Amino acid sequence: MTIKGIGTRGLAAGRAFMKAEMHMDVIFCGDATAAFREAFEAVHEDLERLAEQEEVFSAHLEMLDDPMLSESVEAFLEEDMTPVAAVEAACEQICGMFAEIDDEYLRARVDDVRDVCRRLERKLCGDIRTWDEVEPGSVIVADELLPSDTAELDLSNVSAIVTRKGSRTSHVCIIAGNHGIPAVVGVEIDGIHQGDIILVDAYSGEVVVNPSLPQMKEFEARLDAEEASSGDVYGRRFDPAVTSEGKFVPVLANAGNLDEIVCAMEAGADGIGLFRTEFVFMLSNQLPSELIQFEIYRDAVLACKGKPLTIRTLDVGGDKPLAYIEMPKEENPFLGLRGIRFCLSHPEVFCPQLRAILRASAYGKLRVMFPMVDTVGELSQAIAYLEECKSQLREEGLAFDPDIEVGIMVETPSAVIMADKLAQNCSFFSIGTNDLTQYVMAADRGNASVSYLYDALSQPVVRAVAMTIDAAHREGVRVAMCGEMASDPAATELLLGLGLDAFSVAAPQVASVKEKIRK
Amino acid sequence: MISKNITITAPNGLHARPVGDLVKLVKSFADSTVTLATPAKTVKASSMLSILSLGLKQGSVVELKVEGGDENQVLETISSFISSINE
Repeated sequence: MTIKGIGTRGLAAGRAFMKAEMHMDVIFCGDATAAFREAFEAVHEDLERLAEQEEVFSAHLEMLDDPMLSESVEAFLEEDMTPVAAVEAACEQICGMFAEIDDEYLRARVDDVRDVCRRLERKLCGDIRTWDEVEPGSVIVADELLPSDTAELDLSNVSAIVTRKGSRTSHVCIIAGNHGIPAVVGVEIDGIHQGDIILVDAYSGEVVVNPSLPQMKEFEARLDAEEASSGDVYGRRFDPAVTSEGKFVPVLANAGNLDEIVCAMEAGADGIGLFRTEFVFMLSNQLPSELIQFEIYRDAVLACKGKPLTIRTLDVGGDKPLAYIEMPKEENPFLGLRGIRFCLSHPEVFCPQLRAILRASAYGKLRVMFPMVDTVGELSQAIAYLEECKSQLREEGLAFDPDIEVGIMVETPSAVIMADKLAQNCSFFSIGTNDLTQYVMAADRGNASVSYLYDALSQPVVRAVAMTIDAAHREGVRVAMCGEMASDPAATELLLGLGLDAFSVAAPQVASVKEKIRK
Repeated sequence: MISKNITITAPNGLHARPVGDLVKLVKSFADSTVTLATPAKTVKASSMLSILSLGLKQGSVVELKVEGGDENQVLETISSFISSINE
């Protein structure tokens, strides 16, 4: 049986370890209050034991002991809910009550409440095994893995993780990624039982349960090949990627926050080719000040340790709005006020960011990049704002790099068509293939019924990439690529052939893309 | 049972971190039952979540009630703790 989910990366095989085989829909008959009290006491004991080892569990214990939780559960039990449903309802009630409050400490407590409630639910469903029983080489199969689970689990015994809940950015995937454990989430796990043999291909998101002999053989061969290559490849991650013709091709990484920059540097990146700044604008419910932004960008460039950092200016619009800025509802946000269009119409947002970027440029090699540029006019306007900010800083006596490089994202058909003129007005390009593909093909990347058109390797997109690179090279401008196509090993050779000068990829792909370039 | 009205002076109101400390303090008086009441509802002062659900802002008035134990001392200790919160 093969089941599909969303995978991270890596291959692994092992036997399924299921902590609880849950049946949430069981009909409960018996004394619900007594069952809840019993589960409560059992969880209390577990947490007390855990709190002796790890501080975090004391906070969980506090939340379990908070009278509001028990009272809320008991109120739902009085409405004839089953114990599991009552815990679930109490959890939602409490978390919902605080959802609107913006307080980091409180958010952490709310997460603790969720964690504690999941523990209660599992206890009620009959936890049949404990994490101590995980044997080396196990594939953990669970509804979801909570932070407290991964803290308790000896991850060195875990060969892979398969869960029903979660997304690529959820806690379990991040932890798994940090430990090099393949993970697949969003898997329908009902058909899996304790001790089943499981093959996990996190690249494709495929999970094979109790495979046939030929399936086993084929998987083992892939596993051997991957093991043989990945160790060596990873060991060479800091070596430059030089093609067989002797051309050095920087392999940069994409990052969306400071942690990701640190990870990228450890993964061997030659710099950051795309630093998304949207997170800076989502830290709180108001526009971040120039000073806050300056400190973040400065820390980012320092984290690059002398390697280049390419900061993309704010890329928001109708499809990804900011809560504190009024954005009129648009009929067609992907064709609306987004990227540089938004920034040019909101100088009160754009200028503080430009000033912060400029001030951070005094601390390392920093480049600025504008998203969604369509025309030379937009680029000139953006550069005019940048120059205005420079002269302000000069007057104020604040340090910045006067020769900061300016580049654009090439992600619209008009930018491709006008690439030569745009190249005359900036010093680098970065092709954003995700948006470019959707605009070239006029196919929404989220719409499954036209997904056959959304293919970055299709001829129209490849031609657009080739046209961009040719036009840029005629003007002496370097071209990088930061879309998913850059991370796709199937595209590396093609892109090198088209003359791409640099790749900007997800941090875990740096070593393998470098290796691919060397061949 | 004795009680006292307290006006919240903390600029950010009673938010999560100081409430966590308040609950610890309340729990240290095992012999007393401590409640906080607003016109809308009355909650146990041993429940951080309940206190936070009152949404006490700067200037809000809350009635602190103590029953059992050394009532006067407990009332005084807790009310001066609440008044001293300044974050």
